[in-house]
Amino acid sequence: MSYKIPIGPYHIALEEPYKIELECEGENVIGSSLKVGFNFRGIEWLAERKNITQSIALLERVCGICSNVHSMCFCMGLERIGNIEVPERGQHIRTVMAELERLHSHLLWAGVAAELIGFETLFMQIFRLRESVMDALESISGNRVNYSMNRIGGVNRDILDDTKIREVSQAIRTVTEGTLIPLLTTDQTVIARCKGVGVLTRLEAIAYGAVGPVARASGVDTDLRRDQPYLAYGKVEFVVPVQTSGDVLARVVVRALEIVESCKIIDQVLDRMPQGPIHAGDIYFVPEGNAVVRIEAPRGEVFYYLATNGSDTPLRVKVRTPSFANIPSVAAMVLRNTIADVPLIQAALDPCYSCTDR
Amino acid sequence: MRAEDTRLQIGGTWIERADGWWLTVPAASVQEIAHTLLKAEARFVTMVAQSEPNHVLKLSWHWDMEGTLLSVVSFLDEGIAVPSIVDTYPGADWAERETRDYYAVTFEGRKDTPTLMLRDDDKPGRFLRTSGDSL
Repeated sequence: MSYKIPIGPYHIALEEPYKIELECEGENVIGSSLKVGFNFRGIEWLAERKNITQSIALLERVCGICSNVHSMCFCMGLERIGNIEVPERGQHIRTVMAELERLHSHLLWAGVAAELIGFETLFMQIFRLRESVMDALESISGNRVNYSMNRIGGVNRDILDDTKIREVSQAIRTVTEGTLIPLLTTDQTVIARCKGVGVLTRLEAIAYGAVGPVARASGVDTDLRRDQPYLAYGKVEFVVPVQTSGDVLARVVVRALEIVESCKIIDQVLDRMPQGPIHAGDIYFVPEGNAVVRIEAPRGEVFYYLATNGSDTPLRVKVRTPSFANIPSVAAMVLRNTIADVPLIQAALDPCYSCTDR
Repeated sequence: MRAEDTRLQIGGTWIERADGWWLTVPAASVQEIAHTLLKAEARFVTMVAQSEPNHVLKLSWHWDMEGTLLSVVSFLDEGIAVPSIVDTYPGADWAERETRDYYAVTFEGRKDTPTLMLRDDDKPGRFLRTSGDSL
């Protein structure tokens, strides 16, 4: 006989409002239903009633972790509609910001995962590293969360001294390659807790529309930085890590490997940073048009559709965040697992409910 | 190459843009297109609704294939039902429910379309422009 267990919207196992109702037989999950929207802010609606300059600041608030990605994607959409060319140096600075943000996001997630696995010491070590990324972001932008770096046609602030960024990149790469990856791939506690748990097959990942590390851990070889290069990604070398087992362990490994690749990208971009302007001047209007822009955020593909009519206010701003694409696949992941595995499965998704609810 | 073959298989006049390939179709053919795209292992990205003048709604469905964006567009009068693709792509569930929340679109072929972002008893169509909120 089956029974239902509601978890959320406010629950000790979930630090953001979200509800999952599990249908169980004994300890095993045989079905689930998800509910989101508890944080609905109507950001798309608001963005269609503010001018494009105001909307840059607004859209940076879609997410508290990958905030830069959203203002950047919005600006890139308007630049595409207006045929506005971003100076090379501006593109390189955007790339550095995007990869530092990926490091920040992946390290935050790795710390949370370490704690959920029950590995408190690792959690502390990872958060120490994450703090150094926040310091590097602050050294560039003056801010630790909402960086206000993007403007239409480029960036607001230059990277005047890259010493701090290089030090952080080197330190993270050393710890990740020397400690984190060997530990995550060989430690028996981690393997016992994560291997074979929360499997999402490749075909399920495609049908559910999973993106980013979740898709790549299920054997879907996709990464917009490589497949549709933007900013400076076409000029640097990096590997897209892909795993095929589709379980929690695969998601852990993919993100750990991606941390190293981000460090490589940052180093290369800093090495080849061109001189010149960082933006294309003051731009407050774009002509009539519409465009889609997709970029590879830390959690996967971000999709923006923008439509303009030549005024300073956009006609339509559609934001599809990676968590919005990934969270529904939890329904497939939790099947045939035990209730005790559900918090870990959800954490391995690296969900952001702020992004999802917008 | 697979994306090109799939476009040929679907047929119609695809237009290449900086952001991918676009095809305008009647909404009734979206289900069949979704079937073809799933067979080709295209990933469903999202759907977008946009209010046009004279109570016309522009709906677009977007897929990714090897990094290439394939977008299918339909124009329809507000209030006209469109076929659901959830049976083919379960990942389209939230996109359809959100589109109903914001633009009051009815999706045919679903058992039900509960609210996603709005409260259970909220009236759908929150993003539709009113006379005091013109385009």
